[in-house]
Amino acid sequence: MIRLAAHLLLATPAVVLALAWQGRALGVDPQKSLIFESGIWTFNLLLLVLFLPRVARWAHWPTLLRYRRAVGLWAFTYASAHFLFFLSFLLGWDFPRLAEEIVKRPYVLLGFSAWLTLFTLALTSTRGAMRRLGRHWKRLHSTVYIALALVAVHYLLMIRSDWAWPVSYASLALLMLVLRLRRGNPARS
Amino acid sequence: MQSKLIRITDQTAYRRRRFIAGALGLCTLGGFGALRYGQHWPRSEASADKAPVPAVVEADAAVLHNAGKRLTSKHAATHYNNAYEFGWNKADPYRESGAFQMTPWAVSFDGLCAKPGTFDIDELMGMPFSHLEERVYDFRCVEAWSMVIPYNGRPLRDIIRAVEPLGSARYVAFTSVLRPKEMPGQASAFGTLDWPYVEALTIKEAMHPLTFATFGVYGDRELPQNGLPFRITVPWKYGFKSPKFIVRITFTEERPMATWNVENPKEYGWFSNVYPDISHPRWSQATERRIWDDGEIERIPSRPYNGYADQVAQLYPGSVQQYR
Repeated sequence: MIRLAAHLLLATPAVVLALAWQGRALGVDPQKSLIFESGIWTFNLLLLVLFLPRVARWAHWPTLLRYRRAVGLWAFTYASAHFLFFLSFLLGWDFPRLAEEIVKRPYVLLGFSAWLTLFTLALTSTRGAMRRLGRHWKRLHSTVYIALALVAVHYLLMIRSDWAWPVSYASLALLMLVLRLRRGNPARS
Repeated sequence: MQSKLIRITDQTAYRRRRFIAGALGLCTLGGFGALRYGQHWPRSEASADKAPVPAVVEADAAVLHNAGKRLTSKHAATHYNNAYEFGWNKADPYRESGAFQMTPWAVSFDGLCAKPGTFDIDELMGMPFSHLEERVYDFRCVEAWSMVIPYNGRPLRDIIRAVEPLGSARYVAFTSVLRPKEMPGQASAFGTLDWPYVEALTIKEAMHPLTFATFGVYGDRELPQNGLPFRITVPWKYGFKSPKFIVRITFTEERPMATWNVENPKEYGWFSNVYPDISHPRWSQATERRIWDDGEIERIPSRPYNGYADQVAQLYPGSVQQYR
């Protein structure tokens, strides 16, 4: 029941966006809004997935850890939507051009690498994969921090003049990275 | 007994921490929502705002090459604008321009010209607003979106001739208005642009018949989000080369500074002509997203000089790399 509620909560931004899109409430350029919002929610959930174990430990609330996988998979879902919107709206499904953009534009390269990382983590998020990978699983899944760093720089590269949002997000990402490096993996304790 | 006491204390402490964690979580979510969507969430607009616009403008001898084209809807063209003076969000120019005073409006001419002076906007128009020429131009933003917009105005060169620039004048510099109290983007601490906005053209570009002194769009003068009451429209360049809210025009010998060029010269060239083959460092300029109406967007190939190559290419001899 609580699990269902958690999934519904994590799906809420997607549902609201979809309804707003259908209801023509996303303004003049819904494509831009969809790309932007799916990216922001990927970032939000990435921060949340890394923050959960710290809260769980601080408040002695192990139940929270059960929802890590759900948050992570939803982060991957938003990242995939973001990528698909980019492919469709900005590249018109032109795959040779995708290859060209990945090579030529650092922000595309960073975003694509982050998506590949999250894709790998999503594929290996099952219990079976955990068992098969054994002690390597944890190391593999700590690459989520690399994804976070890539996403932070990806967003910073979007700045034209107004820096408040990208810099705020980059600061939060940096904070998570510093906490990880200083205190080690929170999931281990 | 003691261990039990400790455990109870611990559990109370943990319960309190869970409560704090939950409350902080909700606060974060609420704060994020308010900051991100509170201001920018699309509001429903009065239906009167969406008055139908004739899709085709009557042919005009001066612009036969593009008359009869389909126009972007007025609603889209007036609710999706870049005017960082009002904010970075494309909805900010229409939402945040309520305090902007459009009258009276005067423009001063100075620098290398024989008849410098300050002129009221009616003098610049030189005729009643309704008598101004209407031109349909393709508008191409550096961000790779575009619109087709009917502008009301007159060739800039007609105005420039009246102040008689000297032979030594090689450039024309435009300065936009500085009013942080009426333009929230100018007062924002989170921008990196220097205000007021400045732009410039070579005198040849400024005297080109396509360069349009603009006093209205869609026959409407009351649209600060589109840069009115007075802007310049240069259709073969990226949109930021068409300065808005102009209050000063200066003739110079030295190449003047331009706001976006100063901000990031690698990304925003001084000339910034539309060249589909020359990418912006962060994105391709080969195609553009043509915005026809709210949510109606078509991806189309971009054209050299935004489709005006026949009229303007002769201004740019030699390698186009010099004019990016």
